[in-house]
Amino acid sequence: MLKIRNICVMQRRWKGGKKRWNTLQYKKNNCDRALESFDDFYGSVYGNRWKNMRAALLTEHKYVAMVNNFGDTEQTCSMLEMDGAINVKSLIQLAKERQVGGSGEMLKATRGNYDIDQKLDALLRKQQEREVAAVYPSGKEEGHVAPQQLQTNKQESTEAEPEKFEYKQSLTRALEHDVQLDESRLVDPQYGTGGLYEYMPAHSIKGMEDWVAESEHYKYYQTSADFPLTIEADAAFQFPEHLALYTYEMGNCSDFKPPRKCLTGVLSHFLMDGASILPPLMLQVQPGERVLDACAAPGGKSLLMLQTLHLDQLICNDVQESRLNRIRHVMQEYLFDFKQRWSGKRLSFSQSDARNLQDYDSYDKILVDVPCTTDRHVLNKQDNNIFKPSRIKERLRIPELQAGILANCLRLLKPGGTLVYSTCSLSPVQNDGVVHMALQQVFTEHAITATIKDLSQHTALFEDIFKFEQPKGLKYGQMVLPYLPANFGPMYFSKITRNS
Amino acid sequence: MLRKLLFNKQKQFSCLAVRQLAAKPAVPKTLQLEQVHIDEAVKIEPTLAIYTPEIWHRAHETFQNHGLETVNFLRIVTGNPTLLKRRPDRIIDSLEIWRACQFGEHLLHLLLTKYPELLDVNDAHQLLSLSGYLKSRVSTNKNVWKLLMNSPDLISQPELLMEQKFNYMMDEMRIEVPEIVKSAALTLPFEDLRCRHIFLVRLGLFKPRALKADPNEPTTNNRLYQITDTSEKSFATKICHVTMPEYEAFKELLARELEDKSRKSRTDEQLSDDDEEEELH
Repeated sequence: MLKIRNICVMQRRWKGGKKRWNTLQYKKNNCDRALESFDDFYGSVYGNRWKNMRAALLTEHKYVAMVNNFGDTEQTCSMLEMDGAINVKSLIQLAKERQVGGSGEMLKATRGNYDIDQKLDALLRKQQEREVAAVYPSGKEEGHVAPQQLQTNKQESTEAEPEKFEYKQSLTRALEHDVQLDESRLVDPQYGTGGLYEYMPAHSIKGMEDWVAESEHYKYYQTSADFPLTIEADAAFQFPEHLALYTYEMGNCSDFKPPRKCLTGVLSHFLMDGASILPPLMLQVQPGERVLDACAAPGGKSLLMLQTLHLDQLICNDVQESRLNRIRHVMQEYLFDFKQRWSGKRLSFSQSDARNLQDYDSYDKILVDVPCTTDRHVLNKQDNNIFKPSRIKERLRIPELQAGILANCLRLLKPGGTLVYSTCSLSPVQNDGVVHMALQQVFTEHAITATIKDLSQHTALFEDIFKFEQPKGLKYGQMVLPYLPANFGPMYFSKITRNS
Repeated sequence: MLRKLLFNKQKQFSCLAVRQLAAKPAVPKTLQLEQVHIDEAVKIEPTLAIYTPEIWHRAHETFQNHGLETVNFLRIVTGNPTLLKRRPDRIIDSLEIWRACQFGEHLLHLLLTKYPELLDVNDAHQLLSLSGYLKSRVSTNKNVWKLLMNSPDLISQPELLMEQKFNYMMDEMRIEVPEIVKSAALTLPFEDLRCRHIFLVRLGLFKPRALKADPNEPTTNNRLYQITDTSEKSFATKICHVTMPEYEAFKELLARELEDKSRKSRTDEQLSDDDEEEELH
């Protein structure tokens, strides 16, 4: 008997109800690859601190709102203030006052790590003295002084310290250096080595003979100072008069309202990663200067420089047409009368590889925000991810590309001009390593020498907002670390002046 | 207090104690309710002062008939004073309901002594279905008992919530039953459990086991009871080794992230529904 119900109702099938483990198993994607690689590399660079950065990188980041000076500025400012945001300018002012007021206390507070070092030094010295006294009881009477007694004042230490730090040793190198044969375990060949060959440990894995660990790759970038280099403190920090930046205090994770249209037809404020404000601010653009943004997309940093209202001429350069279009789009949304007043006059675009720009000796200031592994992006977004397996060659050549761009930009500077090199990566290879490579390159090929500006005085002003890497850990620049209560960055920046 | 009291009693009834020692080399049982006991209990729980000795003795007898020692009786009564008010047959009903869960006499007494409030249960059907459900997740009666010993509030939790937590622990965290029953994880709200787990994962301190991994193989992960049976502060500082402000910020950020995600998926669903409708039209 054929019932209609039997035809209409699909019988439920029970076969294959339970899934096999391999179908349930999680497929690795690009973000996981990135995370794995970072765990390996940054874990060895930052040690215990890496896990805190890891958690921060994997969690939503914090924004800073830049008020558009071409819109309803005051209205926007009061709206942001009503939401509890704080003007960065006033925070800086406060920090400055505090520094002037209690400079002694301030130094103690911000340079706590040196205190620890000094304590450690003292402890070591004491221990050494004790040991010396134990071996040579007369040593004390002769006024013996332990050889490694350092007496540096604080000012010196901030400048001298970065040179001493050597982060370059890759894991295998370090192992090779530190390896010490345990004599007691060596077997004398004349006493029964009969079966020992059977226990020969494997030195290579079949099928992976050509394999090179990624951390191994980094040791090719050797840094040995073989070019003249001076490091000096930068002049006093001036916060641009007309720039209004708003942020929430550390620990406050509130959101900003999305930008809205103003009377003039432009958007009220621009939301950007907080750490991105530092490179253009550190560049200290002055009125009447000609400025190049060598890798401009997506345009946030360029816009910030325009918002200072200091610029005479800004050239935004990028490699791809699509990225340039993005900048154009942003500028159109934020600059009043973009087509009539800005485009081609005060603001111009150029599409070229920053390594091939040819107008040498013609810029006062350059912002070199190079392409990098974009640590936060690769951990959170699948698209355009540089940890895609097919892009490994591109990834390994990033430092080379960055050094090429930086070296060329140093040539583009007028003598005496300044550039800020910045990346959003934690990798010391892409940061200090690249600065070193580029400086070396321009010295050997074009006899250009440069001065590194020490920005630690400036970053001290921002310490209420950002968490910075200790200045000891870095050779040529400063870095904002991702930190959960102030989830900005990572952002490395180094200020370099071409010597005239 | 009670222990001290017992100690004194032991001296008084030394001959009794000797006899019991001969029978069983454990702590001697006290089976008589004395005025001293009542006074001590009232000292601990003053609300008990209103009951007459007859009521005390009646209740004591009820419990004694069901195998509970005087010490346990006193613990139960001080923990849940309203029991004295209750009619003996209702107390017996509650005990019978619990006995139906088949934990074994000894374990049941331990459970009831630890959480005297459990004697307020009077819906046999509800309790049996709960223990049935728990047994289906943790496989033995003993495990059910362990679960209840760690998180007695399970008897008032809706099954759906428990299901959610069990699924999360077993599927996402890949934790085996023996570890689950040793922790009070089911007492924790689901959001807190998930937040703690995700925090550990993002710190890189918690790696889910491989699907084919041997369950006996030791892991470097923190044990579940370390994760769930700790205060916020000791979880952040002792287990995760981060500062409290970092964990506070993370909680806030994660809550927002998950909310955004659920909102997005909801709007996606709506959009796809709209598409379907359009297709239909």
